[in-house]
Amino acid sequence: MKFSYTHHMPYTGVTEAGQDWPVPNKQFDAALGAEMFNRYVEDKIYAEQAGFDWIGSNEHHFSPYGMMPNPNLVGAVVAHRTKRAGILQSGNIVPITNPIRIAEEYAMIDVMSGGRLVAGFMRGIPHEYVAYNVSPDESYGRMYEAIELIKKAWSSPEPFGWEGEYYQFRAVSIWPRPIQQPYPRMMMSASSDASARLAAEVGSSAGFLRIVDFESTRKQIKVYRDRARECGWEPQADDVMIGMNCCIAPTYEEAKQILDAGQKYFFGVLGGGIRTAQQLVIQKTRYFQEEGAADNFIAKRAVQREVSFDERVERGLLLCGTPEMAIEQITRIHRELGNGRMNLSIKIGDIDDAHVTRTLDYLRDIVFPAVRHLGEDTDPAQAAE
Amino acid sequence: MFEKKTSSLSKGEMTFFKGGEGRPLIHLHGAGGVRPNPGLEKLAESVTLYMPVLPGFDGSAAIDGVDSMETLADFVAEFIDKEIGEAADVLGLSFGGWLATWLAVRHPKSVAQMCLENPAGFRPKDVPAPSDDPEVRKRQMYRYPDKVPAETKSEEVLKKNREMLHHYHGDTSFDEALAGQLDKIEALTMIMHGTADKRVPEEAVQMLKRDIPRSHLIFVYDAAHSMETDQPERFAHLVADFMERAEAFLVNRGTPEGRPQQVL
Repeated sequence: MKFSYTHHMPYTGVTEAGQDWPVPNKQFDAALGAEMFNRYVEDKIYAEQAGFDWIGSNEHHFSPYGMMPNPNLVGAVVAHRTKRAGILQSGNIVPITNPIRIAEEYAMIDVMSGGRLVAGFMRGIPHEYVAYNVSPDESYGRMYEAIELIKKAWSSPEPFGWEGEYYQFRAVSIWPRPIQQPYPRMMMSASSDASARLAAEVGSSAGFLRIVDFESTRKQIKVYRDRARECGWEPQADDVMIGMNCCIAPTYEEAKQILDAGQKYFFGVLGGGIRTAQQLVIQKTRYFQEEGAADNFIAKRAVQREVSFDERVERGLLLCGTPEMAIEQITRIHRELGNGRMNLSIKIGDIDDAHVTRTLDYLRDIVFPAVRHLGEDTDPAQAAE
Repeated sequence: MFEKKTSSLSKGEMTFFKGGEGRPLIHLHGAGGVRPNPGLEKLAESVTLYMPVLPGFDGSAAIDGVDSMETLADFVAEFIDKEIGEAADVLGLSFGGWLATWLAVRHPKSVAQMCLENPAGFRPKDVPAPSDDPEVRKRQMYRYPDKVPAETKSEEVLKKNREMLHHYHGDTSFDEALAGQLDKIEALTMIMHGTADKRVPEEAVQMLKRDIPRSHLIFVYDAAHSMETDQPERFAHLVADFMERAEAFLVNRGTPEGRPQQVL
């Protein structure tokens, strides 16, 4: 089993962010923000020492939910300060960003890190489209076209132009080119049928990041694997990444108390404004183009509200408890889903940074050594089918 | 929209279709012969298209002494001299792109600017040949088969058209003689390749971009081999802009309405 460490870099200096969107930034204390940035970067560096295989940075806008509107800035710092871990950019929100800029910045990170970039292509959560004034209706169309353009920018030996529906460039020749050829390793969210198929078509690893039960996740993984086979390739176990919040403590009760409080802050304080814009986008646009996809998205959110914390742990949707419990939980998830990679979010909401470090230490000392073997002997063709 | 005409040349007559508004543009057809389509109709709003029916295609007779890519290029050069009277812009699709390249090599003074649209003739030997299976071939030809205009040609004509390819270039898939002379091309050249084209490999257009001195390679998104029918607007806009502005087509000219564009 391989592990990715994701840190949203939340701004936790607010106690009440309200439901408005965008969230007014007059609450931002720059001195406090600077302290947080430095701490969070050190956490990411420490994650490599704790044995994580990838270190992730992601993009969000206009809210204290995350202080990382450009994850490539953070990825560059992490690349410079680490030696081994993959630099997972999970990722740039492709449809709202200039794709040539993504190709260039990702290539920079790949070169700066000696070929360790994991290039995340994300569609983003709905409110990001309001932030950058891009029609959510164009989300999938831009996504498809931009990824093809980015891959061409990475791989074309000669300068080229592009005449597309959303993007037109007459002369492209990026410097530097990525070390990984023809393309850096890629990672995409596969949380809907459409996105799972797209990840397979692109040849990307797939992240199943907010799972609500094993059965529906198995179906999503099957959509991804089936489409990959149709496209002529076979995903390996570590191409399937399951995302989960994680808190480890000496007792289940303590871990529960920490994670539950962090999640309540995350959803109640940091997430309020985002939900307001999200509902607007989902109700008024074709951000979700597949039948049932919007309902599925809303249902996933409802699980957070309507299912008790203990039941979520029972269902295998949270990694929470003692180190021994975490080993059992990871083993169960692998048995159920056949994944060879997990993405762990540990800094949830305002969880104390010391607790984050403690969880990292438990993972390094007890959990990782016990679960490393999982996924190594998984036959990709049989995994989770 | 296109008027049928005949040109009398030294070795025989050649039918051609003419239509549109603007400076002349010679369109050299692919293996299917002359096929008016939405892309060409759109393009004819900006240029005057001359679309010769190459000897032996579309039911016309082959001409003695015009039996190779080289002699066919000579024949087209004479056509340009006769009908245009000066260097003309040339657009070649697939087989026509191959022919246009020979024309630019052998008759540099006859070609002003040149577009090579998914050009055949440069498939490296280590790249597998495209399928001859009709269904597979259709998928490789068209990203959007429902956009293809209804077939107006008989099976006999279509079969003869395919035979004419061998008449002119035998079994050659990579034209080494031509590839060795690409550096002689003087015309400003735009090479267009559909991102979904499964008939012409990307290696071919990359090589052309590398070896033709003043050239630009443009990928046309979501178009297969038949770019003119798959993406008529993109095709016509790109060709017209290149022909009108030459090298300056690299520079963004803003929106027609004058409203500044939002840059992502």
